[in-house]
Amino acid sequence: MSESITAPRTGPHKVLLAFYALFTVAAGARALVQLTTQYDEAPVAYWLSLAAAVTYALGWYAIREASVGRTGFASVMLWIELAGVLTVGTLSLVEPDWFPDASVWSDYGIGYGFVPAVLPVAGLLWLRHQKRAPSPADV
Amino acid sequence: MPSVSTQITFIVVGYAVLVAVLALVVALRKQERPGWLDQLAWMLEALLVVRALAGLGAFSGDGPPSTSTYVGYLIASVCVLPIAMKSIEGDRASWSSVVITVAAVAVGVVAVRLEMTAA
Repeated sequence: MSESITAPRTGPHKVLLAFYALFTVAAGARALVQLTTQYDEAPVAYWLSLAAAVTYALGWYAIREASVGRTGFASVMLWIELAGVLTVGTLSLVEPDWFPDASVWSDYGIGYGFVPAVLPVAGLLWLRHQKRAPSPADV
Repeated sequence: MPSVSTQITFIVVGYAVLVAVLALVVALRKQERPGWLDQLAWMLEALLVVRALAGLGAFSGDGPPSTSTYVGYLIASVCVLPIAMKSIEGDRASWSSVVITVAAVAVGVVAVRLEMTAA
């Protein structure tokens, strides 16, 4: 199998990848359904949900790359994701008028058990550990 | 008396919690993923398929209030576990069990959401 050559077989990144895949689908499906069926209710919130879905898809790719030693994209992407959660979470609290309906990152991801707030932090901690480890690409 | 699909949902959620906890215990003990954990996960998948088939009954009569949401959960409920199992194929290290925990919790939540959006 080609994956065993290009990616390390096991490690915490497998769990991160599972979360990112789940949230890509969850946020993406939610955004698409809401944008297509009830657009006028809360367009800002729904577009932000779609942005969250795109962020998770890119995050999935970034972590996959970082797991084989190419950490550059993840170093940028995970910070963007953290900034997104914090910005949207704070905006949803200080400007509730902009959010007549919830977005994925509303109230720092309360609708998803705050996993959206924990995920980028967990990702960044893993990335720090990953940068210290010798890169399989260099071996 | 709750409907048949609601009763199956109770079983699915209870069983999903059991699988999630057992997988986490295996991972915390730093054990290799045992074969019986895979079997438990696939039995959960079988239950989810039964739940999804029972869920098709929601389309009789008026159907669910938001068809697209309901269909989304219906598809997700049966797709999550096989994809998760595929991602840890050939990897029996302890981290692979955590993937089962995540997937089992996810399908438990999806089963509850499926129930909430059925009517």
